[in-house]
Amino acid sequence: MALPLPLGLVPSEVAFLCEMELVTVVPRQRLDSIELLSGSTPKLRPPYRADLPLWLALLLKKQRRANIVPPAWLHPDSLREIVNYETAVDVKDWAPPPPPPVRADSRGNSRRFNASDNDIVLSPPFLPSCTATAPASALPYHWFEFAEMLLAHASDDVPSASEVRSLLRDLQEARAAKMRAKITHPDSHGEGVTSLRGVGAMELAESRGFVVGVAEGIRKIGASAETTRRDEEEEHGHDMDDDLSDDDMGL
Amino acid sequence: MDIDDILREVDPASHGIPLETRDLQALTRLWVAERSAPELLNWPADGLFERVNSKIKSQIERIEDMTGDMDPKTNFALIVIQTELERYKFLVRSYLRTRIAKIDKHTLHYLSTESLRQRLSPTELAYATRHQALLHNHYLSSFLSSFPQRLQNLNDTAGNVSMIDSPDLDTAVFVRLLRDKDVYGKGTDVDTILPAANGDVLIMRWSSAKGLVEDGDAELV
Repeated sequence: MALPLPLGLVPSEVAFLCEMELVTVVPRQRLDSIELLSGSTPKLRPPYRADLPLWLALLLKKQRRANIVPPAWLHPDSLREIVNYETAVDVKDWAPPPPPPVRADSRGNSRRFNASDNDIVLSPPFLPSCTATAPASALPYHWFEFAEMLLAHASDDVPSASEVRSLLRDLQEARAAKMRAKITHPDSHGEGVTSLRGVGAMELAESRGFVVGVAEGIRKIGASAETTRRDEEEEHGHDMDDDLSDDDMGL
Repeated sequence: MDIDDILREVDPASHGIPLETRDLQALTRLWVAERSAPELLNWPADGLFERVNSKIKSQIERIEDMTGDMDPKTNFALIVIQTELERYKFLVRSYLRTRIAKIDKHTLHYLSTESLRQRLSPTELAYATRHQALLHNHYLSSFLSSFPQRLQNLNDTAGNVSMIDSPDLDTAVFVRLLRDKDVYGKGTDVDTILPAANGDVLIMRWSSAKGLVEDGDAELV
């Protein structure tokens, strides 16, 4: 067996992706630029901040060569705001995702990261959604695994870590309930597209089997009805074509 | 690298994404897509894998050069380089393994038509052809040869039922939009058109999502 894993990313693969997120560090030692396959790392000169991929930042953190600056959305106030949104403001949908990141040029303009003139479009984990410049009060795509990893390996860099931990648990429970409600709600059944705007990567990974199973089950139960509907629509379409051609004849 | 490349790198107005980031983004996207899609996707035609493989090879040579040098300062850089190399190699390996698993599962299907064969890389095509030939020979020598001649084929379509198993293209997948777009998807009760924004995650059938992914309007997650 070449690959014994099921279709779709499993949680460990999602965590691997999350480790590519850029994060801001404050170095405690000088470190020259290292040429890596994914580009050269910035030169580290204390006390100037630099953006590094999370896996490298955690490595530096473990060796006490740097401290990690947590993003603004991980602050207890921001998390409390999101918990409030999830539980009181909108009890059906998730909190909206952060706005697309923008970058300033030297002339005082700002533009989206993915300007249309680029031939490749960046998406998480390559967008800077976990750096110190990331906006507060919105959860990025990799929020859960990022917060978990930061709390596990750099909890002394996160302000009021225990409070953050309990807020994260509240968030996770509130959002997981929404996922279950969304998928099992009869309104969404039988529709072609269901939007999960604002969902996180780990939330998708953990309920992927359930969601796909429900969707497959509904498709199989409704398969004969769907075939009938499509045949009818096709016939109807033919009728319309006939009508049109009749009109043409009339003209 | 000539002077234009250097100028482009320092000019904030050009919004240039460095080639390394592009390649990593492209490789990551390919890997995630291959892991999530129910069928085999196209082998990248733009020489991405040749580029990635030669980069990995030169990085390994660099590590070999650096290992002789036991200065503690370069030693840490060596650890970082090796860690990154392993991460990169994992991506490549997992991508190739996913593809081989899919080819193994539906070998005859991917070999059956020219357009499906186009999706395989030359090495994968050679693997699939030889593996299938070996398998068929083995079946022939162990039991198929005792069947009547007309029952010995593995690709009969008699009675409107094809013996060739093919992947289920209506499997539900998750996609993330890369642009604002109205998304059309087929459903059991109704076909839906849903206006969706950049970054939205949607559940839909792979058969409906395939066009979006191929046009670069969406990616699998």
